[in-house]
Amino acid sequence: MKPRTGFQVFRAVALVFVVLALLLPLLWMVAASFKTNVDIYDSGKALVFTPTLTNYETVLQQANYVQFIINSLWVAFAATVLSLLLGVPAAYSMSRFNMRKSALVVLMARVIPGVSLLVPWYYVFSNLRMVGGFSVLILSHMFVSLPLIVYIMMGYFDGLPEELEEAAQVDGLSPIGAFRRITLPLSLPGIATAGILSFIFSWNNFMFALVLSGADTKTLPVAIFDFVGYASIDWGGLMAATTVVTLPIMLIALFVQKYIVSGLTAGATKG
Amino acid sequence: MPAVTAPSRASRGASVMPDTPGWARWANDHRKWLFAAPAMAFVAALIIFPLAWTAYLSLTDSSGSVRAESEFIGFRNYLDVLSDTTRFWPAVGRTAAFTGVALFFEVVLGMAIALLLWRPFRGEKWVRVAILLPLVATPVAVGMMWRLIFDPNIGMANQVLGWVGIGPQPWLAGQHTALPTTIFIDIWQWTPMVVLILLAGLTSLSNEPQEAAMIDGASAWQRFRHVTLPLLMPTVIVAVLLRGIDALKTFDILYATKGRGGGSFHEVETLNVYAYGLSFDYNEYGLSSTVLILFFLIIIGLMWALTARRKKEAGR
Amino acid sequence: MGRRSKIGTSLAVVAAMTLSACGGGGDDSGASDTVRVTLVNHVWTENIRKALPEFEKQSGLKVEVTQLGEDQLSDQYNVKLNAGSSDIDVMMYRPLQEGRLFAKNKYLADLTDKAKESGDFDLGDFQEAPLSATSYEQKVVGIPIITEQQVLYYRKDLLEKSGFTAPPQTLDELKTQAAKIQADNPGVAGFVARTGKAAAVTQFSSFLFSFGGDFVDESGKSTVNSDAAKQAYAYYGGMLREHGPANISTDMSWSEAMAIFTQGQAAFYPEANSLYKNATDPAKSKVSETVGFAPFPAGPAGSKPYNVPSWGLAINDASKNQSNAWKFIEWAAGKEQTLEQQKAGVPGARTSVWENPEGIATYPKDMADAITVSLANGVGHDRPLVERVAQAREIVGQPIVDAITGKDAAASADTAHEAFQKFLDDEAR
Repeated sequence: MKPRTGFQVFRAVALVFVVLALLLPLLWMVAASFKTNVDIYDSGKALVFTPTLTNYETVLQQANYVQFIINSLWVAFAATVLSLLLGVPAAYSMSRFNMRKSALVVLMARVIPGVSLLVPWYYVFSNLRMVGGFSVLILSHMFVSLPLIVYIMMGYFDGLPEELEEAAQVDGLSPIGAFRRITLPLSLPGIATAGILSFIFSWNNFMFALVLSGADTKTLPVAIFDFVGYASIDWGGLMAATTVVTLPIMLIALFVQKYIVSGLTAGATKG
Repeated sequence: MPAVTAPSRASRGASVMPDTPGWARWANDHRKWLFAAPAMAFVAALIIFPLAWTAYLSLTDSSGSVRAESEFIGFRNYLDVLSDTTRFWPAVGRTAAFTGVALFFEVVLGMAIALLLWRPFRGEKWVRVAILLPLVATPVAVGMMWRLIFDPNIGMANQVLGWVGIGPQPWLAGQHTALPTTIFIDIWQWTPMVVLILLAGLTSLSNEPQEAAMIDGASAWQRFRHVTLPLLMPTVIVAVLLRGIDALKTFDILYATKGRGGGSFHEVETLNVYAYGLSFDYNEYGLSSTVLILFFLIIIGLMWALTARRKKEAGR
Repeated sequence: MGRRSKIGTSLAVVAAMTLSACGGGGDDSGASDTVRVTLVNHVWTENIRKALPEFEKQSGLKVEVTQLGEDQLSDQYNVKLNAGSSDIDVMMYRPLQEGRLFAKNKYLADLTDKAKESGDFDLGDFQEAPLSATSYEQKVVGIPIITEQQVLYYRKDLLEKSGFTAPPQTLDELKTQAAKIQADNPGVAGFVARTGKAAAVTQFSSFLFSFGGDFVDESGKSTVNSDAAKQAYAYYGGMLREHGPANISTDMSWSEAMAIFTQGQAAFYPEANSLYKNATDPAKSKVSETVGFAPFPAGPAGSKPYNVPSWGLAINDASKNQSNAWKFIEWAAGKEQTLEQQKAGVPGARTSVWENPEGIATYPKDMADAITVSLANGVGHDRPLVERVAQAREIVGQPIVDAITGKDAAASADTAHEAFQKFLDDEAR
């Protein structure tokens, strides 16, 4: 192969541009979160300013964000675990028995516009005395997580050879035993992928939490709007809030990059 | 393949050991539905009542409160909505424009970036990190972040334009600039997703056709156009399908940047935002349900068309 | 398919059964020491939260506050009240925006007896205009807690520089002064105001009233095409087109318009007084030293700014804890708290507080004077009094936007009139 220096230079320049375009807005957000409102309004202090922690004090102390962080963590965690319990066996069955039509029932949840669910759900759940607690919030987030998990895990099980289970059955394991002892351990990377993505999507969910969360169960994306007041927008506090919401999820993303990528691209390369 | 599986399939029936308890045997025999049914029942339980109710409401004149008395009016809402050229059809147009333009740029840019990343290079890891971050960021927070950046008076965007001598733009606040600006935000957040999907597709391609074309003396563009792209087409369609469903239903960033109703001129009012406004701002539950049912049919129709196309591509 | 439809039916049955069980409203069958209160993000709310421990101590009740942004609040009410939910006891709401709809749907409990029987509460102390906005069919369904009056924000330094010794007394003077200041100060607009179709309606209303018009006449007919209304539309739009900021956006709510004013880019700005701290707080405003407040300038019909209850407290009719809910309102909207709120810059609806020198001591002097004028001439609404306010605002707001963009305001008012009359007829059915 000939050295393609021209191309390499072009690629380097282009990629630097792409990286800047993707990262600068985020850096701007973080920078604004360390500014006072006066500095945010002052274009002369766009880049050079005296950082302050006041916004974070507002967010974490006055605005009760610690509680919202815990709420978000708990809802995302519970929704993910429950969805995995329901979704992984379902995906297994749907993959092994080729139940594509049944899979469509679950994937329908991803297609339906969420707006059409809000009022009916609230109507039913409030009459079942469930609204205001975590249970209804977790159920609604499972509605987001479950199709995702089923979709990813079906792709994963499709790629696991059936022969291993069959060999285990010859050795005396029941089919369910083979699933538990052989298939599940083999699919742990897939489960991790599905679980992480489900966690992220649940963490980011806004529409369901907007309507179904109560005073004690408010999650972070809804709490962001606390900084859009009737009589003023506290930009500094708002940017600190958005940073608090996005930072944990970005840190998670950095540590488990590989899983997220494989989850997001699941099903993309099958014939 | 069949030669391998045939004997083991035969052994499956006999594999349940005679000394297992009855319930375990029953569970093993019925594992297909035992595994699949709970998840399906869960989704069905949460969908069927709302969908049926929405369909029912769409045939009534329910407004003000869903508990108030409403009259069954047949398909009048559908006639009203389908003949409404001030809100419904413009919303359809904006939904199509938003989805179409955003998808177009996301696929083109996504393809370009994926091709740049295709072959390994130094620092690859850092680029991948940068690509991942917008993708996982909370959409409402992203909307708020851009709202500050695009603020006509104090935002970064106009400051940067000022440095290069261009006058301030209204961005999200302008009648004609709001929709393009929200499309831009969508492109910023979701191009990385398309990059990742296409990159996965590219990585799984075998090298042989490429090398054969290179020996034939094909230029880089010719190789892309006639070798890589056709092979990658099924993956492109998957990307369009996955991204398209979400783009059609975009809500969070529109709500965070423009609020309900999508601005004074409803300039970013897509079908989803319109249906939301009909329910939550106007309390017109009958009309809102009608719009939602039509919207749902549009999504299903598009998905069906794309899936059919993908099957055709894959079958080639 | 059979299985799925069964699930659907049984869900509907469960829903229907439990619904009938909680039908009927307004009692204390579920009396609880915890009062669940939903409040909007507002200075009022911040103040009340600080004072809460005191109330909890003296009443022995526990107050659980849900605090939300304005739109999110209204979204939650729409879902929760619609479902007949009892998990809100006290609700902070916008009497002029949602009041009628909520009252008509029987979401709001009748507070008449409770309010009249409560000795210290003194219902007669409330100003008439705000209280009428929280009443429905002769019943008190809400208690006004925050009022708003329109005043004219202006820049003392710019006026002085152009040789004006006093803020404009009339709308004609406003126009002259704005033109002069704009000519004297390149880059500074003479005038700025809300421009968003729905957002501008409330601030436009004072212009409409001062020109002698209104949205609807006594017989319930649309009057947005009256001569007065056409003049008002043309004036408001013309001021923004001729003396407003360059490249004016037609999507400005108060936050955008206020930003232009507080960045020092405009001389006059008609706006609700409740937002004045945005202009006087040095942390937010570059003009905190030079901002002045004047009564709304007089038009052909005199100075007729709105004086409206922007927020009220009500009890959810489906609440099972209404007595304790009332105890909260009795305290939060009582004389003592209203005075405290007003001292903290939140204008209330109680006559006694406005008459108390302490009640206006913390306002800038010119602001207090301006408010006094508004209270005397104020009109009790700032938007059409209908059920579907959001739609109505968009209809009657269209000519504002058309006038700003230079279209024929009169023709647009005629078009809006037809649409609005159709809307009113539709609502009357």
